[in-house]
Amino acid sequence: MRSTRARTELGPRTRRGERLTCLFSVFLFSIFFGALTGCGGGLDAPLPRAHDGDETPRRGGTLHLASFGDIRGLDPAITSDGLATPVLSLLFAGLVEYDDAGKLVPALAERWEVGEGGTEYRFTLREGVRFHDGDELTAEDVKRSVERALSPSTPNPNASFYEKIAGYENYTEKKLPHLDGVRVLGRYVVAFTLAEPDATFLPALALTSLRPVCKSGGERFTDGWHPCGAGPFKLLPGGWEHGRSVTVVRHEGYFRPGRPYLDAVTWTYGMGIVTQRFKLESGEVDALQDFSQADIVRFQSDPRWKPFGTFAPERTVYGQAMNVEMAPFDNVEIRRAVAAAIDRDHFRMVSPARTRTAYQVLPPSVPGYREDLPGRQRYDVAAALEHMRRAGYPYDPATGRGGYPNVIPYYAYKAGMTEYTAQLMKQDLAKIGLQIEIRILSFPTWSALTRRRGKAAFSEGSWQMDFPDASDFFEPLFSGKAINDEDTSNNAFYKNARVDALLANAHRELDPKARAAMYDEANTIVCDEAPWAFTHGVRWYVVWQPYVRGYKTHPILNQHVVDVWLDRESERRAAGAPGGARSGLGRALGSLIGAGAWR
Amino acid sequence: MRFLARRLAWAVIVVWSVLTAAFFVNNVLPTDPARMVAGPQARPADVARIRQQLGLDRPVHEQYAIFMRRLVHVGPSSVEAGDKEHASCGALGRLHVDLGRSYTMRRPVLTVLGERLPRTLQLAGAAVVLQLFFGVGLGVLAAARRNTKTDRAAVAVSLLGVSAPTFLTGLLLQFVLGHQLRLLPVDGYGKDAADHALSVILPALTLGLFGAASYTRLVRDEMIGALGQDYVRTARAKGVSRAGVLVRHGLRNALVPLVTVLGLDLGTLVGGAVVTETVFRWPGIGAMSVNAMLDRDGPLILGAVLVTSAAIVLANIVVDVCYAALDPRIRET
Repeated sequence: MRSTRARTELGPRTRRGERLTCLFSVFLFSIFFGALTGCGGGLDAPLPRAHDGDETPRRGGTLHLASFGDIRGLDPAITSDGLATPVLSLLFAGLVEYDDAGKLVPALAERWEVGEGGTEYRFTLREGVRFHDGDELTAEDVKRSVERALSPSTPNPNASFYEKIAGYENYTEKKLPHLDGVRVLGRYVVAFTLAEPDATFLPALALTSLRPVCKSGGERFTDGWHPCGAGPFKLLPGGWEHGRSVTVVRHEGYFRPGRPYLDAVTWTYGMGIVTQRFKLESGEVDALQDFSQADIVRFQSDPRWKPFGTFAPERTVYGQAMNVEMAPFDNVEIRRAVAAAIDRDHFRMVSPARTRTAYQVLPPSVPGYREDLPGRQRYDVAAALEHMRRAGYPYDPATGRGGYPNVIPYYAYKAGMTEYTAQLMKQDLAKIGLQIEIRILSFPTWSALTRRRGKAAFSEGSWQMDFPDASDFFEPLFSGKAINDEDTSNNAFYKNARVDALLANAHRELDPKARAAMYDEANTIVCDEAPWAFTHGVRWYVVWQPYVRGYKTHPILNQHVVDVWLDRESERRAAGAPGGARSGLGRALGSLIGAGAWR
Repeated sequence: MRFLARRLAWAVIVVWSVLTAAFFVNNVLPTDPARMVAGPQARPADVARIRQQLGLDRPVHEQYAIFMRRLVHVGPSSVEAGDKEHASCGALGRLHVDLGRSYTMRRPVLTVLGERLPRTLQLAGAAVVLQLFFGVGLGVLAAARRNTKTDRAAVAVSLLGVSAPTFLTGLLLQFVLGHQLRLLPVDGYGKDAADHALSVILPALTLGLFGAASYTRLVRDEMIGALGQDYVRTARAKGVSRAGVLVRHGLRNALVPLVTVLGLDLGTLVGGAVVTETVFRWPGIGAMSVNAMLDRDGPLILGAVLVTSAAIVLANIVVDVCYAALDPRIRET
């Protein structure tokens, strides 16, 4: 009331003053905003190496890494999130592991033999391997750790990967106290018996779930256990500050002599992508893989930084899932029309720095991928119109007459490129007489809805490789076995007897060539029947400071740093150092605007 | 005292109602927390096992009954190390409070809140102090020099403060003071007390500048209104100094609405300044609540709701008490 009266009593002079104030505010705001946006987006120069040209690794130093997200846990038996996996792989060594080239190599197991027609794997352990607590690792520890991870009381999200181990069902249904299929044959020999040959057994064993844990981990999983394994780094008490950071230090008893070179690795979590870039430039973070859209282009196009960046192997496939049980996608011709109508190059242009066009199930880094796969999907509007005609919904683009009469709801979740690619697809499908209505949901809602039978006819689909094997894509996405009324992973509800038979046989087949042929055929059928229109894949880009030596990408882990060593001149870039303060405030907002923190 | 007891009783009812509403809203959403725990690629059999272990396969009313029964209950005065039944409880003698375990972190919610709440209070406290310092200071200045350049500048600055979203201000402060000048930590919480004190400055300043802007306008307008009243003219005529008039008659009158806004602001800040906490990687309640919502982490969501609703309700009670102290007319009624 008082304020109103005060305002109504203002004279002309005061009103003029208010107008001036208003103009002044706009001016100030313009300067403020302009300062942030108007300046250049240059990058600081990379920090030099201390011993350029000398390739002899040096021990010592702490590698600092960062991430936008946060990890959920550090117990290998219950943790499967992508951010935790690199940490787990440093804390826990496996019997077998993937090397940087994506090949399975011995780790804690010195060697292994496969017998009984592919149903028995006998591992001979290295002798003298020490856990972080100093205890020697033996075959008993391997069996205990496997039983701990697969126990029915353990909330293990990966347990089903190991369902072919003999006695799995009896053990997980509490009918037997131990897992029959894992036998200790000596202090350093352990055998896994499978119910039937399983080509995915070794790849799944290379994941972190079953990796041996110290005796303090006990027979069964419990919350609050301090992670302890036989990996190259160990976690000291207080090394994990929940929600903030993890620091692991070198395990001097690691079984590979001389490794690791680093004293410690620190991951800082929850760090904004712009802050990450600031800290990379100042040397407070040593390598970066979370980028804004603008920054990734800057790093890729800056000749000073380009030699120190690379793409990680591509592990994802994205597409548009069409529920074959719901109209109009119960008509295969409509599905084919959609697969032919989408211009993947437009999708790629949404984020050209790291998007690849996709026309088939597998991404290139998975064994069995064939660029020239016969029958792969392709962009062909004329063919799409012909499929529409065959489906009984002919459409004339010139007049706009015909097409499917109803609007189809399309469900996607709010993340990454989706909001943009959905718009592009809507335009592409309109050209063949299909109208869609885009419904963007939160990820949990989208996930629940599209996994339920009869709820979503058309939705975004994506899959990220758990391990580099074709089965990891085909079985969850396109096998009849994966269909459930609730919580299905086959959200196209696609079922084809021939494909199911091929997938089942390929799962059992141990000959790589024979397997590849089966997956080729399955791939061709799926591309033709189009439960998904495969559209794109996303590649992660990694940049590191030049003084980070030996940094390599890895087919499974985002960051694999066992071979990394540091060769830096000083701990931090000094304030005012060359390149330190020359670029403008615009870098900050430029990084944020249009950014799309794709991760 | 009766007034306070009645308000506290109402507070309990309000908090319980909010918790109940949050529980059922969270449960009727068409989402599957077990799927969020297991990850998008876990196989259905593994998700089903996790669902059962979390008790999410039970009917909603049963889950609610379990939650409420555990929320406040009587238990042993000291919890043994292996006592799974009371492992996630906070005990006050034999009185136990239990919000359960976070689905995703697998840690007692009380422990998580115990870590995060002090940090949020630290940030909220610092932000409010700065809000008051800048807001009241500029507001008084503007009112005292009404229709001058100082007044216009104060109003313009406050307009700028209100217009600039916190992420923009935060980013600017982070860039200039943290990255370029290296005067303060760019983000984070730090390792020790000195670090914490330094780390809180930028996020508090971000929130403080945003809040101060509206306080400036409020204080200015209220004071201008008050200073135009007859009793102020009388006070001046009686020879009360200019400063005395400003403080005793102008500012004091402006404090009543200011306290209302301040109370609400404080409650909201304790609930978490989501954007600022995220920009500055401040490990408080706000960032945690967002993640809990995205993960559909029921126990953690309810923990955050409990803290937020309790903070707002208590802040309102404090505001009511402050009214009485500030305005004798309210005390008399």
